[in-house]
Amino acid sequence: MMSELFASPFFGIALSILAFLIGVEIRKRTGLELCNPLLIAIVLVSAVLLICRIPYEDYNQGGAVINMFLAPATVCLAVSIYTRIQLLKENWLPILVGCTAGSLTSMGSIYGLCRLFRLDEAVTASLLPKSVTTPIAIEVSSRLGGIQAITVVAVIFTGILGSIFAPLLIKVFRVKDPVAAGLAIGACSHAVGTSKALELGETEGAMSGLAIGVCGILTVLFSLFLVP
Amino acid sequence: MKIIIQIAIIFSICWVSQIVEALIPIAFPASVIGMVLLLILLLTRVLRVDHIREKSDFLLSNMAFFFIPAGVSIINYFDILASSLLPFLVVCVVSTVLTFAVTAYAVRLTRALMDRRKK
Repeated sequence: MMSELFASPFFGIALSILAFLIGVEIRKRTGLELCNPLLIAIVLVSAVLLICRIPYEDYNQGGAVINMFLAPATVCLAVSIYTRIQLLKENWLPILVGCTAGSLTSMGSIYGLCRLFRLDEAVTASLLPKSVTTPIAIEVSSRLGGIQAITVVAVIFTGILGSIFAPLLIKVFRVKDPVAAGLAIGACSHAVGTSKALELGETEGAMSGLAIGVCGILTVLFSLFLVP
Repeated sequence: MKIIIQIAIIFSICWVSQIVEALIPIAFPASVIGMVLLLILLLTRVLRVDHIREKSDFLLSNMAFFFIPAGVSIINYFDILASSLLPFLVVCVVSTVLTFAVTAYAVRLTRALMDRRKK
């Protein structure tokens, strides 16, 4: 009887929304980058499932409904590129060169490091697209034989790293040009980093936002050359 | 009514891009095809942002929420993550710093070359 109660899509959806709201509230109250609402929500939902011994399959009745919105959300990234289309036209060459170099460096360095640590194929494939925005990253990861969950965790962790260390990295590498700073933040830490870039300045934010879409498409293109 | 039409537009694009994905010989993900498709529709002014504003604002501003189930499935893979936690952290940190540096220098170099050309 008890187990049937949790195998309803409404349970999974309600639990996810509640956990996310708590995450957003904690982020708002503390103002810490580390308190990423998505990360908090994942920890809370996982804790509830583990403590109450609810099988993931039951939770996923609702989870699958939420998952269905991933594709439409990715499609809508086009709107955020379109609203900055003027900026893209004016700076298309630096954007294209920067995002190509960034995407290749990200995938290349991850591949090299994974080999160095002798991580297996599935973990390597899960980590490869971790610098791009989550919906695109999980597409690339599952296509290469990766584990979606590990990709999501790596993407969020990378985003948080980028948003915390962006100001420091700008200083260390002496990046004075706001266009270069914005693209670099977007290329290495996607949407989470972009929220930090917006705090640094309007140009930084817009460039970082463009880098999300451009690096996403480029990473998909480059991943086509990798054999799963 | 407005929201229903907007949902219909975006879901139609998703559906068409799934068909395109099945038809093309390369393994290009449907959602990214949909993104390119919507960008083309906007650029050619077949669609205006007003046609899909509320729906796309809803999806974009709550984007993080939609990844919760995918993230929660980590409870099925705890053992894999635990066994390679340290390499996992090192890979994330090192590749993030490298990607930042290379992107920033590539952009700086490109802009410097462009400036020199102008002169």
